[in-house]
Amino acid sequence: MKSKTIFVLMMALLLSFLLSGCSASAMRTNSWSGLNADADNAYLANGSFVYAVSLKNGTQVWRYPADKADTKEAYFANPVLTDDGQVLVASAGTGHSLASLNPANGNMNWIFTDAKGVWLGSPIVLDEIIYAPNTDGKIYALDLNGAFLWAKAIGGALWSQPVSDGELLYVTSLDHHVYAFSPRTKEVLWDLDLYGATPGAAALDADGNLYVGSFGASVTAVNAGTQKILWNSPIEGWVWDAPVLDGETLYVGDLEGNFHAFNTADGSEKWTAIKPNGPITGSPLVMDDFIVIGTESGTAYAIDREGAIVWNYPVGGRLYTAPAQAGDMILFSPMETDTILVALDLDGRQVWQFTPSE
Amino acid sequence: MWDTFIVIPMTNLLLLIYDLIGHNFGVAIILFTIVVRAITWPLTAQQLKGTQGMQELQQDKEWLGIQKKYKNDKEKLAQEQMRIYKERGINPFGSCLPTLIQFPVIIGLYQAIIRSLAATPLSLLNLSRSLYPILDVSKIIPLNSTFGWMDLGRPESIDLFGFALPTLAIIVVITSYIQSKLMTPPSNPGDQSAAMGNMMSIYMPFLMGYFAMTFASGLALYFITSNLLGIAQYAMMGRANWSNIIPGQKK
Repeated sequence: MKSKTIFVLMMALLLSFLLSGCSASAMRTNSWSGLNADADNAYLANGSFVYAVSLKNGTQVWRYPADKADTKEAYFANPVLTDDGQVLVASAGTGHSLASLNPANGNMNWIFTDAKGVWLGSPIVLDEIIYAPNTDGKIYALDLNGAFLWAKAIGGALWSQPVSDGELLYVTSLDHHVYAFSPRTKEVLWDLDLYGATPGAAALDADGNLYVGSFGASVTAVNAGTQKILWNSPIEGWVWDAPVLDGETLYVGDLEGNFHAFNTADGSEKWTAIKPNGPITGSPLVMDDFIVIGTESGTAYAIDREGAIVWNYPVGGRLYTAPAQAGDMILFSPMETDTILVALDLDGRQVWQFTPSE
Repeated sequence: MWDTFIVIPMTNLLLLIYDLIGHNFGVAIILFTIVVRAITWPLTAQQLKGTQGMQELQQDKEWLGIQKKYKNDKEKLAQEQMRIYKERGINPFGSCLPTLIQFPVIIGLYQAIIRSLAATPLSLLNLSRSLYPILDVSKIIPLNSTFGWMDLGRPESIDLFGFALPTLAIIVVITSYIQSKLMTPPSNPGDQSAAMGNMMSIYMPFLMGYFAMTFASGLALYFITSNLLGIAQYAMMGRANWSNIIPGQKK
């Protein structure tokens, strides 16, 4: 009986250890980096810290917080650069913070912590108002000084950055819907069921057509004016991030590893989808001569407009984050490696890489 | 290996039940627990039998005799004990097996709950890799994690006069205590093994309560359902020792 008791106690301790390990691990790595760049720096939201990295040589300019990590914060949404010179960073941690940083030195201008949920999607700035989507299903409106203006419930959990035609915000939600929201009247004007969760943003063209990919394994085009579905093209895998427009072509990758090019007019495929070497989560990056994607297998691909691979480069790690353009460089933020930012030139050669000092 | 044989099947079973019963994750966890309890029913019965047999041995003259006779010869004592186990048809490890089974279930269920609810991008990505092709669950994701006042993906508490009261954890402690007391057979004063058993019946409920308070409330729901089913099972088998429940009561 005594040995059984010791055995059970030991197992209980082991269970405690394993469960603690599960939750700690879940807290540590619950998403992948957010990335943006201006003319001088790349801004990388990478878990506990946001880094500003010089585009010249890949060295750290600053990091936020400068000293010790705040265990309540985890930065994963793409940092947003505002016209008045702020870097907005949103946290998916329990601190629920949305902060404004000075791009020159990383000092905090202001911080907003009153949202109920966490921030996974980036805010959008329209007419000097910040509209921030939250996982609590609300859009929070703040002025550029961080003062709270109002919050409005949209529906479901909002994981992606809204897009706007200058008047309305179009917001995708995990509740399978895309919403048209008027920030002026604070009303949802219409919504449409996409029959699948939509963690990525919509793409909006000049004619007011929205293009959305979903977990319903399809890409849908909707006319925002008439709220009519123009076409719906089924694909093999779930779509994670926003499709990207390039004239009359729409590029999108899926979790089965396929890369598609659709005609925006009717949803037909311009060429047979190509299948590089792994699932594609991040949005494609449209450049002058080619389109760039990253795969979960850690390879960067440049693909021409006919669907032929121009070059590929093994960045390493897992490329979940959408690539970003910085002048004549392409930035990738690999996950599960010590190096968290890699810059490639237009020929697919590495220019520099950034590994945080600690 | 762990994912393939434990977490992924549990995740799919949970999602299947969730889809079948009208998208209520709380009810899905309760039904899942019933399935687990039904599967482990024979093991629990064996545990009860083993515990009872071991307890009876503590008062057996022959058993007490060999303890005294071979107290300085551990090897011989072990041989004699094994002989008696064999003669009486008692499996000394039989009472441990259900406990052993419980741990992978608890860890697997915790991971399956967190994975199914997929509150973060990485967990949602992991979930997309965990689905069997026969299940068309793309339409039901994300899951509704609300059950009553609880968010099953987060620890539970109720605000009471500004104090966060962990109600589920308290219920887990109470039901775990009742269950462990009900399965403890009557004992004699001075019985050391019974004293250890009593210590366990105090310690374990608080440990389970700690888990319930710290981790996703879906796990607490599993604990409570499992405890209630255990109590019902002991009662149905006529093994429940109700006089044990109140501390200090004469047995």
